[in-house]
Amino acid sequence: MGGDCKYEIGQNPYVKIILHALKHRNSAVNSLLIGRLLDDETTVCITDAVPLSHSQIGLLPALELALIQVEEHFSADGLSIVGYLHANERYDDNKLGNAARKIGDHIFRYFPRAAAFLLDNKKLESLTKGKESEPVLQLYTRDSSKSWRQAGTDGTSLLKLKEPTANVVLKDYILTEKWKDIVDFDDHLDDISKDWLNPDLFK
Amino acid sequence: MVGAKEANLVERLESQAEHGGGGVWEYLCLVRKLKLRRSDKVLKYGLQILKDSKARSKLGGEEWTLYEQVAIAAMDCHCFSVAKDCVKSLQKKFPESLRVGRLEGMLLEATGSWEAAEKAYDRLLEDNPLDQVLLKRKASLAKSQGNTSASVEILNKYLEIFMADYDAWRELAELYVSQQMYKQAAFCYEELILCQPTVPLHHLAYAEVLYTMGGLENLQTAKKYYASTIDLTGGKNTRALFGICMCTVAINQVTKGRNKEEKDGSELQSLAAGVLVKEYKQKAPKNLAPLLTTTLKNMKLI
Repeated sequence: MGGDCKYEIGQNPYVKIILHALKHRNSAVNSLLIGRLLDDETTVCITDAVPLSHSQIGLLPALELALIQVEEHFSADGLSIVGYLHANERYDDNKLGNAARKIGDHIFRYFPRAAAFLLDNKKLESLTKGKESEPVLQLYTRDSSKSWRQAGTDGTSLLKLKEPTANVVLKDYILTEKWKDIVDFDDHLDDISKDWLNPDLFK
Repeated sequence: MVGAKEANLVERLESQAEHGGGGVWEYLCLVRKLKLRRSDKVLKYGLQILKDSKARSKLGGEEWTLYEQVAIAAMDCHCFSVAKDCVKSLQKKFPESLRVGRLEGMLLEATGSWEAAEKAYDRLLEDNPLDQVLLKRKASLAKSQGNTSASVEILNKYLEIFMADYDAWRELAELYVSQQMYKQAAFCYEELILCQPTVPLHHLAYAEVLYTMGGLENLQTAKKYYASTIDLTGGKNTRALFGICMCTVAINQVTKGRNKEEKDGSELQSLAAGVLVKEYKQKAPKNLAPLLTTTLKNMKLI
């Protein structure tokens, strides 16, 4: 694979995953990112996201069940799981932990250009307090030694927001406490009438 | 750990209070009783009452409990001036109090003054070496600083003395899971099942850890505990029903090609799958029911 892969995240998945993190500020959260590899074969476009859980992230049953159902649902539209988002429990913890890496490895097996994303708490804070034009996420990709490394630290930006207004829209939703409407897979397992696809979230 | 009925009551009271329908004190008491973390709401409504001198005097002695509750909520929301004011009022009313001393320690923790907080707790522990809340605060202190192994050590020592503290066992189990130390987490859940054998959530958590550990024996035991969860919850726990299905698939994968005797001949999985299909048809959003049916068909359970 010559050259680094670029990642483009759409407004809807971007807003979804961050609202999910804000809904559960006291705990670590994670989400699956859905999308496809574009025809240029160097850009992965993230078109949707499924928030997964906000408790006991290190356990497998709910994760495996979610992976099966998410893959089943989105493959009908030619999409697959292309990434994983993790948000740490503590504000000043900005490392991609072991649990996150393991889940990332699992997704990588099915989509060799999968990336892992870590919510950047400091950037999110600066977004809520003022302006922030970059995505509030850190990008991690798998290198040749099979470990996850933060990408784009040398100044090149491999992650970008598809719609430049995404941060503005996100800030708006934060002010209106839109996170209350987000449903994750955990919520669904506790009450199956709740829809982890969040079909009406942006209506 | 809150049951569905109580969770609904909290939601109802919260929305009632939000729309100005009263019931604020009831809400605050319920949140306190269930030990829920709803700090932004508690801060908002608690301050409303505290700022209103009429409402405050109506509370009588409970006023001070409210000060404590609001102080903690304020710390959680990073409103340190409000927290400081509440603690000051409590200090005036109860000088030299251990309970207020603990709050002072928590305030130091909240503002990130870790060393000062530790000193404060240690000082209080000199006179009260067996105060459970203080000992557990030291575990929280370590956890807040990201020192999970220290937190685990402190909790282990604590549980040697206070082995009936279910919350501490659960916290320790969750800490172990976060470090992928599943065997140790399993041990904690075993203790919880021994102490509270009729609480289904312990059985469920134990099954989930065993499933995560993998291996034929663990998967078979996990299936048993998913089954006991179903038993204890009258078949209403979705995670347990799914758990039976997932265990069956995993066991079949592990025993592929082995003797038929080792294979699981029970009808449990098809029963569980049948219940799931029925429940999803009745309660789940329209697009999720067929998805579930396809998933279970692919697992060869229906």
